[in-house]
Formats: sequence, structure tokens, C-alpha cells
Amino acid sequence: MLLALLMCYAGFTALCLSTDRHHGELLHSKLTSKRRLGLRLGGWLLLIAAIWPAVLAAGWSQGLVEWCAVLMLSALLLVLLLPYRPRLALILAGLSLLASPVAALALS
Amino acid sequence: MKEGFRQAMAWLHTWAGLIFGWLLFAIFLTGTLAYFKDEITHWMQPEVQAHPLDDGRSLAVAQSYLQQQAPTAASWFISLPTSRDPGLSVMWQDKAEPGKRGTFIQKILDPVSGQPVQARDSKGGEFFYRFHFQLQMPYPWGRWLSTIAAMVMFVALITGIITHKKIFKDFFTFRPRKGQRSWLDGHNAVGVLVLPFHLMITYSSLVIFMSMVMPAPIMASYGDDSRAFFKELFPNTDNPPALGQPCQLLPLLPMYQQARQQWAGGHVGRVAVNNPGDVNASVNVFRAGSDSVVHDFGNTVSFNGTTGELLRVSGEPSLPAVVGGSFYGLHMGHFAGPVLRWLYFICGLAGTAMIGTGLVIWLGKRQLKHAKSAVMPFELRLVEVLNIASMSGLMIAIAAFFWANRLLPVSFAARSDWEVQAFFVAWGLSLLHAMLRRGRRGWVEQLSIGALLFVAIPLLNAMTTTQHLGVSLMNGDWAMAGFDLTCLASGVFLAWAAWKMQRRTASQPKAERARGLTLKQEAG
Repeated sequence: MLLALLMCYAGFTALCLSTDRHHGELLHSKLTSKRRLGLRLGGWLLLIAAIWPAVLAAGWSQGLVEWCAVLMLSALLLVLLLPYRPRLALILAGLSLLASPVAALALS
Repeated sequence: MKEGFRQAMAWLHTWAGLIFGWLLFAIFLTGTLAYFKDEITHWMQPEVQAHPLDDGRSLAVAQSYLQQQAPTAASWFISLPTSRDPGLSVMWQDKAEPGKRGTFIQKILDPVSGQPVQARDSKGGEFFYRFHFQLQMPYPWGRWLSTIAAMVMFVALITGIITHKKIFKDFFTFRPRKGQRSWLDGHNAVGVLVLPFHLMITYSSLVIFMSMVMPAPIMASYGDDSRAFFKELFPNTDNPPALGQPCQLLPLLPMYQQARQQWAGGHVGRVAVNNPGDVNASVNVFRAGSDSVVHDFGNTVSFNGTTGELLRVSGEPSLPAVVGGSFYGLHMGHFAGPVLRWLYFICGLAGTAMIGTGLVIWLGKRQLKHAKSAVMPFELRLVEVLNIASMSGLMIAIAAFFWANRLLPVSFAARSDWEVQAFFVAWGLSLLHAMLRRGRRGWVEQLSIGALLFVAIPLLNAMTTTQHLGVSLMNGDWAMAGFDLTCLASGVFLAWAAWKMQRRTASQPKAERARGLTLKQEAG
């Protein structure tokens, strides 16, 4: 469940950064259309790919339930962090990307 | 035309949400607590000690106890201890005249010593579980009312989605410290982000309720009442009747092991023995509900109790049973391990918060119009009183329930009923208090009382039992420790809410009125 959580959190952060308003607020730079596409694609890919570790660890029925749960919780966490600790929200996303391969190794 | 439709939906959302909001808040909060019903029961019956699990020992202990106490009973039921609920529960039904039902007697045994535990009489977490769909009303009325509430909730969810214009654009948006705007943001955020849970829980409750209000097989709700057990026996009426020849029952452990082999290592929840002292004894081994997401109501392996011969393995459930069982399983979350259970709990709290913020927004919007006049119109005052009593009042009532559990003497007559009385008396008093105090003061005072009551619960536990935090943490009794810590956290949260409220009240007259933002909000 940990890997799925890390991937979902990073995925939602990417999707969040692909919107003009949040990109400006968080990174203080203008969003180019190329980067927007990349972030959007990467975000969706991460969210969907997170099904894989969840199902691998717990089987289809339980895995899908866990995926839904971490999907909701990671989004909730991100949205609650953004207004209060925007830097922490970004750092966490970076950390989850970095920690994902480690968690993947532990899973396999 | 399109705008007209959306306005109609917004109207429906507003009024359906208001009328049922208070009830739904209570249903959601108590239902959320019911995810930890076994843990709550464990806390409320501290006499039942937690031991490392050993099903073989538990079964042997239960069998020898029942052999001594009820050798001629019509049937025995053994519920094995779990990491959530450490008590070994045994129950037997006396023989009765044909056509009558024998009385049930239940005991909780210590799974190591085999002696009955004199646990204090308490409804435990079962109270919250029962309340969230029966609402403490006589038989079908509470279930009907909660069914209607669930339908209204479903309507409110759908109309809410239609009304919310910018689901994707505002997906990540939460702007705190902006008064009414923040409440709406918060309402949208917990609504949209946890929407899959809200839809699942509401829809599945309708599926479950439909079978509850119509007498259908899924009626058997897991619980400690006799009816649930009786229903679980239903598929086993093809077990042979007693012949009247006494015969020794075989040890249950080999049958338990054989059943687990049948399920490829699945877990056993409960063992039922029919005609235990008879040559025609039969043993039904029920699979634990925690094994799969899809709840299977009759997953059993049956044995002949005197020869040990395997009689029957229940087949694969039919497709409708799988669909119904998945909704039931998803709603109940029996299958969830500790982490997923906490996620369920958080989702439940998010649902509660969504309802609470909705109620606050309704009032906040209308209060703005009357900000200048000294007296609020009666209907707004009514909503305010009900808001306070249904939210902070319910918190106080829950805390009072726990306090009563520790303060009422163990030998008190009808003790578990008095715990429930304490819950409703505290709730009633909070309603009275909300009527007497002016809005904001009412909020601050009730939130503070709730905070005090919850923060003090670990202390109260330490003073009245031997299971205080130090002990439970050392023993790895996570259910007990988790309860104390959660109460502490809830108390801190309520104190924070009270403090925010208090600060707003103090700073309001000058600074905020100057900005024209009077009476922005009420806390939930």
C-alpha cells in the first residue's frame, strides 16, 4: 500500500502543478504548454500505474479497494497541505518520487 | 433552461441537506466509530485481557468449558478471539419443546485460563453500530428513518455534483481564513476528494437496507444478538436431528484445521455445534468475515461431530449474492487490516465533516442578511441551536458514554442501559444549553466541554483500571492504547476548534466589521 500511496501523492501533485493557478502559486513561474502536457500525462500515468503495486500486494479485490483508499487520502492530504505548508507539499512529492523505487524493490 | 435545472438542483441540495443534515451527521459520526466497534468494546470491557492469539488453545478451552457447563444443550456457538476483540465468546442454546426456541446463554472466557471473565455489562462499540441504523427507535421505525436518510443523502450527493460547477478546475482548491468562502471550499474539497467513498457508503447502505426492511436472507447482520446467530444457522437446517443416543463429541481442532485447508488457509470466525452430546452431533465451521472483500453469508464447512467425517462444503455463492456481498463487505469493512481500517475511519470523518460544513454554510449565508439587526429570525435561531446540539452536543454525548462506562460501579443493575442513558441525557442537556446561550458562546462552551471530557479520558482510564497507556503500550495492546490516544487527539482537536471560535468572537467587533465581513462563519 505504501508504494501506491507514494505514487498517488506524486501523481496528484503533478496534476495540481499542471493547472495555471497552482503552478504560479507554487513554483512562481509561467506554465508552458509543453510542460503542462508533460505534468498532466505524468500525473495520470502515476495514478493509474499505482493500481499495479496495490493489486500485486493484496490481490484484485482488496488491491482495488486499497488503491481507491490511497487515491482519496493522498488527494485530501495534498489539498490540506497546500494552503498551509506549500513547500512541504512539494518536498513530500519529491520524496515520494525518490522513495518509490525503494518501495518497489521492497515489494518485489 | 440549463441554468434553471442547475438552480433547481441547488435548491434541492440546500433543503434536502438541511432537513436531514442533523440526522445524517449523527449517522455518519456513529457509523464511523462503528469501524472500530470491536476496539471500543475492548476498551469498555477492560476485564477481558488481551493474549497472543492461539486458535487451537482457544478451541480446546471453549470445548472443555461447554462440555462441563452445557453437555446437553441444543447447540453451542464459539467465536474465536481476534486481534481486535480479545475475548473468547461462547454461547449455548438450551433444549426446548418442539416449536419453541431455547434460551441463549453467553459467556466470555479467558482464552488462556478457560475461566469465565466477569466483564462489566456494557454495550460497547455495538451501541454506535446499532444507533447508526436503528437510531434507538423501536423495530422497524429506526431502520425506515435511516433508510430515508440514506436516500436523501444520495439525492444530496447527486444534486451536489450537479450544482458544483467547477469540479475539476477547483479540484485542488482550499482557501483558509476567508470566511464563508473557506467553508464552501472545505465542503467541496471533502465532498469531491472523498466522493468515491461517499457514493459507495450511501449506495451500499441502500442495498443493505433494502434487504433489511424486506425480510430477505441478508438480514443476518453480524452482531452479538441471538437473531444474527440464528440466521447464520439457517443454511444448516439440513443437519440431522438429535437421535437421543449419548455419544462423545470429537475434539474440534482437527475439523478446524480441515476447514482451513478447504479455504486454502482462510481463517475461521466461528464454530457452531448442533446436538453436542448426541450421536448425531454436527459441527459447522464458519469462515471469518475478515478474509475477503466480498462478504459471503454462509461460507461453511460441516462435519459429523462423532466420526469427524466431512459432510458438506458450501458452494460458490451465486452472482447476485456476490454483488450484494460486495456492497455489504465494502460498507462494513470487515476485511480491512489496521491501515485500511484507519483509512476507512478518515473517510468516514471526511463524510461527517462534509455534512457539518454544509449545515454551517446554510446558516452562514442567511445570517449575513441579518448581520445588522440585533435579533435573529426564529427559523435561523432554530437552525443554529440544532447545529450546535447536533455537532458539538453529539461529541459531548459520546464522551459522556465513555465516562459513564468508567464511573458507573461494575455491579450496578442494568448498567449498560445507564451508559446509553448517559449518552442521551448529555445530548439533551447540550440541546438545552444551546437554547439558553447565544450562538457563538454556545459553540465555544460546548466545544470546550467536549475537549475537556475527551482529553481526560486517558487519565480517567488510568485512574479506574489497570490498563493505562503505559501498560497497554508495553503489552502491545494496540486496541486499548489506540482508543486512549484517539480520545486525546479528539480532545485536542475540539480544543483547537473552541480556541478558533473564541478568537473570532473576540476579534470580530472591530476588525472584521470594518471589512464588511460580519458573522462570517460558525465552526463545526
